[in-house]
Amino acid sequence: MWCRVVEIMLGCWLLVSPWIFGHYPQQQAFVINDFACAVAVMAFGFLSFWRPLRHIHLLTILVAGWMIAFAYLNRAEPVPPPLQNNVLTALLLMMFAVLPNHASQPPEAWQTARRKSLEVQLDTGETTRRTS
Amino acid sequence: MTSVSFSRLEAAERSGPLSMDAAPHPWHYNPSRWSQRVPICILAGVGFLIAAYMGLYQWKLIGSAWDPFFDGNPQAVADEAPDIGRARNGTETVLDSKVSETMRYWFLVPDAAFGAIAYLGDLIFGLAGSTRRWQYRPWLVVIFGIDVIPLGVVSVILVVMQGFEVQAWCFLCLTTAAISLILIYMAYDEVWSCLLYLRAVWNETQSARIVWKTFWGRPTPEAERVGNAFLTAAVVPR
Repeated sequence: MWCRVVEIMLGCWLLVSPWIFGHYPQQQAFVINDFACAVAVMAFGFLSFWRPLRHIHLLTILVAGWMIAFAYLNRAEPVPPPLQNNVLTALLLMMFAVLPNHASQPPEAWQTARRKSLEVQLDTGETTRRTS
Repeated sequence: MTSVSFSRLEAAERSGPLSMDAAPHPWHYNPSRWSQRVPICILAGVGFLIAAYMGLYQWKLIGSAWDPFFDGNPQAVADEAPDIGRARNGTETVLDSKVSETMRYWFLVPDAAFGAIAYLGDLIFGLAGSTRRWQYRPWLVVIFGIDVIPLGVVSVILVVMQGFEVQAWCFLCLTTAAISLILIYMAYDEVWSCLLYLRAVWNETQSARIVWKTFWGRPTPEAERVGNAFLTAAVVPR
């Protein structure tokens, strides 16, 4: 679940980033967007710990896509730091969001299939030994 | 569970064709094992640090960028780049060049920061997945491959083109380009095995549905059979 923890931490970063990146003319829109995206990212991260909603972290990809679109829609020269922060955080979020909860283990379905195959393999060996 | 004891299952898991360390075709080692992947992640981490350092210079969060070998080219520096009070070296020229400024316009962030994210992606996708992910999570290996191979090739081409276009060379950019090439060399075996496995599933079943399921890591009896037949050695000595 380390990927979900990182997503939640990135959500926290988004939440505090309006105070880090200072004031801009469109600040209110930036702040609202950062807060909304942060809440969504953190909610999806936390909800993924609940088994029935274990795949909900994939919605974070949509949030990240929106953050990049928002940055392009509000672009100015030079690009305001809050928008650069949106782009980089969104790319990071996308990378983590595609990873499954127990990324270092085989998928559950494969674990079950492996176990069944191993049992069949051992049972067959046992039967062969007994009959011979 | 049947009468088979847990310890015997574990033993069979370690030594049989279902071993997590089994070597897939065409190699005699498992390209997904940690000893193969961790060096890739470490090298990607080094690439990330160098790219992030250059990104900090492009953001002007640091005043200079290190270059022990190459001199700068004042004509190549973008009009928007601030005066740093002295002649730029090769790295600083390339990072402040018009080409770099154009890429910054496209990506909204400095190109070095974008590169840092790509190296971080190599690291993250290198760490994720089990030691048999070539079979159990082909999609992850393919994403890892896309991040390392085509993006690596593009970044190397960009660095070399930048040298000819800007008429200045950047030591750190060349270092990261070399890292990208080494990463491609180190990562291609796993990606190749994974693609061969998917092709073997296709050849065996001729079913796009089964290949699709296999790609997304959903087991089917056919994929399992092909996977077991795909091994060159069940157990590889450490």
